[in-house]
Amino acid sequence: MDAALLEQMLLGALLALSVYLPLRCGQLSLATPGFYAVGGYVAALLSTGVPAFAGSGATSPLPALLAEMVLGGALAGLIALAIGGPVLRLRGIYLAIATIALVEILRVLNLNLPFTGGAMGIFGIPQPFAHAEGYVLFTLALLALACWLCQRLEALRLGRAMAAIRDDELAAACVGIDTPRTKLIAFVASAVLAGVTGALAAHFFNSWNARAGSFDASITTLAFVVFGGSRLWPGPVLGGLVLTALPELLRPVGDLRLILFGAVILLGPLFFPQGLVTAERLHWLAARLGRGRHRGRQAPQAP
Amino acid sequence: MDLLQILVNGLSVGAVYGLFALGYTLVFSVLGVINFAHGAVFTLGAYFTYLLIGGAVGANGLLAGFQLPFALPFWGALPLAGLGAALVALLVERVAFRPLRRRRADPLLALITSLGAGVILVNLIQLLVGAESYAIPTGALGGLPASFPLLGARVRTVQALLLGIAVLLLALLTLWLEGSRNGKGLQAVAEDAETAQLLGIDSAAMVRLAFGLSGFLAGVAGGLVGLSVSIAGPYFGIGYGLKGLAVLVLGGLGSVPGAVLGGLIVGLAEAFVPADWSGYKDAVSYGFLFLVLLLRPRGLLGRPLPTKV
Amino acid sequence: MSVGRLLGVGTGLLTLTLLAGCATDPGSQPVDVAGGVPVGAVLALTGNANVYGQDQKIGLELALQHRNGAGGINGNPLKLALEDSGSDEPGANAAFTLQINRGVLALIGPTLSQQAFSADPIAQRRGVPVVAPSNTATGIPEIGFFISRVSAQSSVIAPLAIERALKIQPGLKRAAVFYAQDDAYSTAETTIFQKALKEKGLDPVTVQRTQLNDQDFQNQISAALREKPDLIVLSLQAVDGGNLIRQLRELGYKGLIVAGNGMNTPNIYPICQKYCDGLLIAQAYSPELDTPANMAFLKAFQAAKGGAIPPQLTAQAYTALQVIGDALVRLDKRQPLKGATLTAARKALMEEILAGTYATPLGEIRFTPEGEVIQTQFFVAQVRMDPGGRSGRFALLK
Repeated sequence: MDAALLEQMLLGALLALSVYLPLRCGQLSLATPGFYAVGGYVAALLSTGVPAFAGSGATSPLPALLAEMVLGGALAGLIALAIGGPVLRLRGIYLAIATIALVEILRVLNLNLPFTGGAMGIFGIPQPFAHAEGYVLFTLALLALACWLCQRLEALRLGRAMAAIRDDELAAACVGIDTPRTKLIAFVASAVLAGVTGALAAHFFNSWNARAGSFDASITTLAFVVFGGSRLWPGPVLGGLVLTALPELLRPVGDLRLILFGAVILLGPLFFPQGLVTAERLHWLAARLGRGRHRGRQAPQAP
Repeated sequence: MDLLQILVNGLSVGAVYGLFALGYTLVFSVLGVINFAHGAVFTLGAYFTYLLIGGAVGANGLLAGFQLPFALPFWGALPLAGLGAALVALLVERVAFRPLRRRRADPLLALITSLGAGVILVNLIQLLVGAESYAIPTGALGGLPASFPLLGARVRTVQALLLGIAVLLLALLTLWLEGSRNGKGLQAVAEDAETAQLLGIDSAAMVRLAFGLSGFLAGVAGGLVGLSVSIAGPYFGIGYGLKGLAVLVLGGLGSVPGAVLGGLIVGLAEAFVPADWSGYKDAVSYGFLFLVLLLRPRGLLGRPLPTKV
Repeated sequence: MSVGRLLGVGTGLLTLTLLAGCATDPGSQPVDVAGGVPVGAVLALTGNANVYGQDQKIGLELALQHRNGAGGINGNPLKLALEDSGSDEPGANAAFTLQINRGVLALIGPTLSQQAFSADPIAQRRGVPVVAPSNTATGIPEIGFFISRVSAQSSVIAPLAIERALKIQPGLKRAAVFYAQDDAYSTAETTIFQKALKEKGLDPVTVQRTQLNDQDFQNQISAALREKPDLIVLSLQAVDGGNLIRQLRELGYKGLIVAGNGMNTPNIYPICQKYCDGLLIAQAYSPELDTPANMAFLKAFQAAKGGAIPPQLTAQAYTALQVIGDALVRLDKRQPLKGATLTAARKALMEEILAGTYATPLGEIRFTPEGEVIQTQFFVAQVRMDPGGRSGRFALLK
């Protein structure tokens, strides 16, 4: 395992969390790759076009990267805010398809706008870190922050409102939850996370083009969440890590690589319909580990 | 004259979209999910047609040099290729859909399992016959001219055939759905699977029927499109998957005439994009889809769907 | 232990193990030539560019046989590790990193220009020579010292092909241009074609944009034919270009068609079939080039593939490995690879690659100090299809 692959896995985990956020309140949005692409373009354009962002040293300045991530996330969030209202009135598969259409529209715009570099995209993006290890540590911090926020959410009113909408939207509305607003918050948060991830990824991949946000990517990121489990945040994180690494780890089988990868995607949901991570499995694991140190303690509370 | 040419172009492209979406919509109508392996089944239909008319496998796959001991005329090969594709679709149902249904799992999971089945099929094709293109010879239609004039516009014969066959299949399918026992059973299951079961309709058999039909349509469409534009490798049908989604929603999820109508509309919408803006062609059809979804979420011909989705 | 804390601790432990297990850069270690001299290739063997990778793979295999049949690198065989990049950027990056960590002396690939803009900077930063067999976008050798290519841009060929068309039909006035706007090769080449047309006083009467995965071009064709063109210039790949030609002919276009490098492959035969006949192709490789290097390549290819004609991509991939092999032989004679550190050997190899002149199937080639290929021979060929339209040849126009 090399640091570069680890970095790709961590980016996969972040994207999976972005798909997870709307799903947490029952909304199947596949718009993540579109926002990811937008965030990446913001970083690519700023760092190649504005001298202050590129810096003058061997590596581009870290504050510039942070600023790009903020701006990329903000632009993605604004787009989500603008379209979220009407789009989130759609349910289930209709919402999924509308968001796929959104990704496709953004892709075509990215390909045609006069400043996004056409098919070639933007290349020669400066590096904020000299080695992949630097990216890994930075992304790990970002992922930890995202996970911590997801964990915090469980305890907040907002998190409980989201869970209530997922279980029964009508009932949630009846007990006074502002369902449109809650759904919009989840959608915008998802977009911001995808935009921030894209800004970081544009540097890591050295170049950025319209292929970053495609239909294929929509389905792949959904697979991360379904595979890992969509009820608890560790599910998408695990799914993103595992499914990003899998094609690389399967290299020794040569020509059969993608056939086996397809088989894993096919069989995963059949054997683990709830995903790899479920509350029961976490409790079991926590109990097993806890028993060693704190014998006789009660079973832990659900997160 | 220009207007007519644009209409002709749009309709002929739309016919392909419509044919593709017909199969999508059949499965959606009974299960309420999208079968992402549909594009791969479509691709297989094209390869089956190629083999049945006596084509030989190229030099790059495990089956290098393979050729069937017989060669059928195109019109004989096409329905057989459809049957072959139907068998594959049934297999996809068996491994990617039925186990989920039996466990009463979230139908959303079928998006992923069918995607897995599609990935397997596409890469299996590449392993067996390589990535190169294969031709269904232009001569397969016998002595028909390559194109003919129509009131000042020019129409490719293959495209006119595609449009004709799409409309014919739609008519047959509608007649069958309305007029036969199985057709009515299928509709009943599409309406409400549990009630249909109570009425003594074997809903599992109806699901198989939907997959078989969807596979047959995909196979025939694949063979015809292969005749029109050759078989451009294992990813041949995948490109239609995304367009098919737009068509499916536009026409109304689960509506059979809607699929054909949606296809023609998307084809026409694309044809009316001015040449200078052709880069935005795909965005136009998706923008259109977006608007239709927001204004009329059920699509143009969709009935109010039960909340099973 | 609470579930939250468990997850925190678990993540931390996982990270530490992963980081500890990270491969260290092998650059400071000596070159490992025990099992052969290690060279890597990264090709798009899966994904929607799979047909290019498949053609390139054959070229590499033949070049490897040729080099090792001629004694390898001064008695030690050349060892080629081939990895699939998929057809996307993350796949190319992962495969490049994997190969570099394996300790290869040089890399061939990746297949697509977009992948090159993403993966080449990694090789540049880590000082690993890259010889690109198929990247034609502007700006590839400029990525850095370690990046070179054997795939010439069309700057020289495009004007040649236009000149040839004018020679065949001197009265040409109305040129129509087509290109795939989402394909890096197409967009780069059409710029060159359009410039060449303007220089000949043939301002395009219409420029039509298509998409790489389009299969139906009747809209663009109707729009173009309305302008009554007498010359059509295509910068497209085999599948979309082949279909466009077929539909142009079926819809009644009778004039000349000129196509670029992307269609210089027999893969167009099954697509445009009998309608391929008469197509003028600007070639960076001619199967009919009469030199010993090309004859040897052609013979090996036809023996392996039942008499077929090699595509340009196959010849260019063959050339890429030949360049690395030849340079390694010279370098190893001057200062033996055995015992040198990997970093030093990679740098010396890059200098050697750039310094040499090579007799390849593409004709004689060398490099600019930047790593751009200088190819001395370019060709214009006309497609001649057999009766029945199943197969044909690229007849060299002299």
